[in-house]
Amino acid sequence: MLIAWRYRERDTIIQRLDPRARIIFMVAMLFSIIQFWDLRIMLAFLGLAMLQFGLARLTWRETRRAWLLISAIILFMTVLTFFTGRGGIQEAYQEEHLIRRLGPVTLPLTGWQLHLDITAEKSIFALSQLARMYAITALAITIPYTIDPSLYGVTFRGLGLPDKFAYAMDLAFRFVPTLGRDFSVTLDAQRARGYEVERLSGGIVAQIRRLAPLLVPVVINAIVSAEDIIDAMDLRAFGIGPRTWVHRLAYRPADRALILFSGLIFAASTVLAFMGVGRLWVPQALLRLAGGG
Amino acid sequence: MNKTTRQALNWLIVLIVFVLLMALASALTSGDKIRGVAPIGATAVGIIAILILYFLTARSVAWEVGTRQVVYMAIGAALYGLFNYIFNTIPMPSVSQVALRPSVCIPIFFGYVFGPVVGFFTGAVGNILGDFLTGWGVYPAWDVGNGLMGLVPGLVMLFADKKRSLNFLTILVAVLIIIAAALIFINPRVVGPWTGEIEDFSFWAWAFLIGGVVVIALRFLLERASVDLAAVNLWGTLGIIVGIGFAAIADIWVNGYSLATAIIGEFAPAAGPNILNAMILVPILLAAYRAIQARTGR
Repeated sequence: MLIAWRYRERDTIIQRLDPRARIIFMVAMLFSIIQFWDLRIMLAFLGLAMLQFGLARLTWRETRRAWLLISAIILFMTVLTFFTGRGGIQEAYQEEHLIRRLGPVTLPLTGWQLHLDITAEKSIFALSQLARMYAITALAITIPYTIDPSLYGVTFRGLGLPDKFAYAMDLAFRFVPTLGRDFSVTLDAQRARGYEVERLSGGIVAQIRRLAPLLVPVVINAIVSAEDIIDAMDLRAFGIGPRTWVHRLAYRPADRALILFSGLIFAASTVLAFMGVGRLWVPQALLRLAGGG
Repeated sequence: MNKTTRQALNWLIVLIVFVLLMALASALTSGDKIRGVAPIGATAVGIIAILILYFLTARSVAWEVGTRQVVYMAIGAALYGLFNYIFNTIPMPSVSQVALRPSVCIPIFFGYVFGPVVGFFTGAVGNILGDFLTGWGVYPAWDVGNGLMGLVPGLVMLFADKKRSLNFLTILVAVLIIIAAALIFINPRVVGPWTGEIEDFSFWAWAFLIGGVVVIALRFLLERASVDLAAVNLWGTLGIIVGIGFAAIADIWVNGYSLATAIIGEFAPAAGPNILNAMILVPILLAAYRAIQARTGR
């Protein structure tokens, strides 16, 4: 089984930026976005996230699968929230203006009566929620396609993660292709014995148990071979002093500008949120439709 | 000033700054105000409890990070990321809406065998790796949630032996269930999260009590087979509940879900199958590991 990263080298403005600056930008944007519910502000954040996506020159073709899967989840969760509540740990709105009531429908056997109130606030909240989740997704999806996996260790070291953890991260990225090959060999060996992962039979417990012949050899083999790596690292006195890294990262003016911009966005968002700006905004037209404007 | 005292001081400063910021934000801004000292008190008690727990266990080998732990962190994360990718990609059967998620056994196994730090790293970084391979992106709340799934089973190493850890869990479950049931019995009529109307929740107090008795009975039943089996299953289950619970609740803030959406849409469909998959596969993995360990002596 060929395990391939999504990353491809592209000569774009986004890929030329320091990965540390990009991680800082993503975190600042995430913590800014979650402070608002105003659809207009959400759309501005969505625009900014999509601008990054566009500047990275990612194509629909290469990201289609991720977008479709995440869209299915986003739509399901938005509909579920529409049916079940007012969203957020402290409800995003208190008052509701009814546009239309659907139902009631009487459930067979139980006799329970269900109805759905479509209100101005509920509808606009669902749109804001969609914009918020797509903005977060656009920020998140861009990262694996545009940051070189071999740079993660040094990037997180540069962001303050201790040497040992940054090294473990680097090592983990490098182990993946090897373990992928081990898995492939195990799968082939089990198939030669008549094992078919696509046709597991029996109940749920039996099916889960039948996955053990795939998992156990790969995991135990990895643990056994880890002893050699530990010995080799101990012989080279791993962890005694600070590490040096093959790749060196250096901030350039564009990176500093991006960090400054991220800081400003986060600071401005926090101040605005404290001032009560950016709460759920309901257009007058929608309120008039509900007869409340 | 030694290292422990310096860390205590750092934590104390963090606590004071945090409480001051909460009070300032409440006083200087419009919108919802902190009502009374209860929220500040609860935050302070929570941070102090974590502080006490840290000092009680600071010298435990459970928190040690040496060469061995670094390598197992890397291998655990790589395996978790790889299995997440593979079992999301190859067509797998699904029975009665219960998805086959065998990869969940990796952070629980690594946490239980190699400690909480290895468990946390395996879950968190493994989740990042899996999302990178599938191209889904980076979602910090779920990365931390997956990390907690590995960290909690590793806490077993804080106890002198597995049996003591089980006794602690039993007492913890009993106390939490009694508190929850008592709170409901004292004030059974509250606003329902589904309907928004006043409802009687007495049923849930009985459900908690019966559930608690079942969990405690399960502990003694599993213990008769093997203490290791009982410990890994109960700590693993707790890890999944804490980890997935954290991620689902965090999504109420991040994505604006209602409580019902977080529970129906995320917690239940993820935690249920994960617990089932982990309860079957982790003991098999553990038995294989113990056999190898006995043979190699490491």
